[in-house]
Amino acid sequence: MNVFVIMILGFLVVCAVATAFTKSLLASVVIYMAYSVLMCIIWMLLQSPDLAVTEAAVGAGVTSVLFFITLKKIHAIRGDEEEDHHEEK
Amino acid sequence: MGEWIVFGISALLLITGLFLMLSAVVGQYRFKYVLNRMHAASMGDSMGLGLVLLSLCLASGDGWLIAKYLLVVLFVWLTSPTAGHLIARLEIATDSRYQDEMEMIEK
Amino acid sequence: MKKNESFWQKLLSLDEISYENPLDEQLIDAETDQPDSVLRQQSPVEYAFAEILQEEKQEELYIAERLEANSLHAWVGRQSKKWAKPVYSLLCALFCVALVVFLMSTVIELPPFGAADNPTNNEVAQRYLEKGLEETGAVNMVAGMILDYRAFDTFGESTVLFVAACSVLLLLKLGDHKDGEVSPAMLEAEWDDRHHEPKNDAILQMAARVLVPVILLFGMYIVLAGHLGPGGGFSGGAVMGAGLILYLNAFGFRKTGRFFTYKTFRWVTFVALMTYALLKSYSFFCGANHLESGISLGTPGAILSSGLILPLNICVGLIVMCIMYAFYTLFRKGGM
Repeated sequence: MNVFVIMILGFLVVCAVATAFTKSLLASVVIYMAYSVLMCIIWMLLQSPDLAVTEAAVGAGVTSVLFFITLKKIHAIRGDEEEDHHEEK
Repeated sequence: MGEWIVFGISALLLITGLFLMLSAVVGQYRFKYVLNRMHAASMGDSMGLGLVLLSLCLASGDGWLIAKYLLVVLFVWLTSPTAGHLIARLEIATDSRYQDEMEMIEK
Repeated sequence: MKKNESFWQKLLSLDEISYENPLDEQLIDAETDQPDSVLRQQSPVEYAFAEILQEEKQEELYIAERLEANSLHAWVGRQSKKWAKPVYSLLCALFCVALVVFLMSTVIELPPFGAADNPTNNEVAQRYLEKGLEETGAVNMVAGMILDYRAFDTFGESTVLFVAACSVLLLLKLGDHKDGEVSPAMLEAEWDDRHHEPKNDAILQMAARVLVPVILLFGMYIVLAGHLGPGGGFSGGAVMGAGLILYLNAFGFRKTGRFFTYKTFRWVTFVALMTYALLKSYSFFCGANHLESGISLGTPGAILSSGLILPLNICVGLIVMCIMYAFYTLFRKGGM
């Protein structure tokens, strides 16, 4: 195992924990996208390009778009923005 | 001698690009307002990635690889500004107090 | 065109939604194929600001709802015992630690990665690797495995996707409108969909004009070259579905409705699943009865080779593409 793999795995763990502990749902979905991209790189390093292509298309692409549209449908994007603004002030 | 010149130029470009990306990351955390942060992020995306891939083009003398790198640059330069534009639009549409943060020029 | 006019008139006359704002009427005009010069004169900021003004009423409702929810929460908090919360937190932490320790101890017990005497390197994998090219004709061994040796599993996978799409249809599909008849639920969904949505965004449309053909071409390449290199039906279908979603976001439902409707979705998924089932059942029947199937494997490495893998890949790709797009449209406004 070289340094690159260890770094990617560390980022993966950080992303996984951050996805669970982020308060804003929108930010959580964006971090989940980053998790998918890192997972895609790991599949490439494990020499399975088939899975890497699938992970990039489904995990980082379509799934997050579906999450976004669901958040918009339940008006979660708006509420989070408001709360963030109040906290900053 | 020629190899060393190419190596030097590509290393310089790589370091400049990485510095731009680092400044983008720092800007993400230092700026407070969404549009300022977006400015930093999109600069790192387009300029930094462009410089890094240009240096990689110089370092690898392979024709097909250079073509692929240029395609990556083209794709990022198409998608990243579009995404930034849409995020800015979302911010303007959802935040009713955006005029506290910036000046609008009325037509 | 007439159908749509009555549709938008109904949308305007709906009681629950107030359209006093003239901006929104202009927006609706822009939606119904009329010259959108009015829209272009306004900056997007003005348009957004007008929408915000219109939203203030909803904001009050939203705040009232949240206050109610907060009082409910406080009531639940009063009902519970005082010692319940720390005990709950402690139990959560203990459970998490136990789970991590359990999984880590399992990881320690695993054989080293890539060692030759691992239990995964048995005679099955050996046979796949040795005879795979000869028996399936696919250069990409993964495609040969999932669409030839294990094709039944892939059929089950496609069916699972189809069943998921059916359940989403059952849950989220709103009624069809015939002769301009629109249900109030559809109007509400339509209004909800147009809310905060960038319409006629020139930058996004220009980018989509360049990107969508390239994305669709790349998806088709992944599907068609699935037996030659990395890729296959599932990933290629997902890429094509993402391209369609981008097209829909840039140009709106009126443009995509020209070539992709609910009917198209039904027929494409039905025909693709049936083709998959018939082709594979023919192959299973021949294989079980020791008959010659008559499907030539071709020369490995050519596009038209490896027997049934190419048509099966195309079927899976079509199913996945349609279902990804259908998921998006159903999540967004409950119809296509």
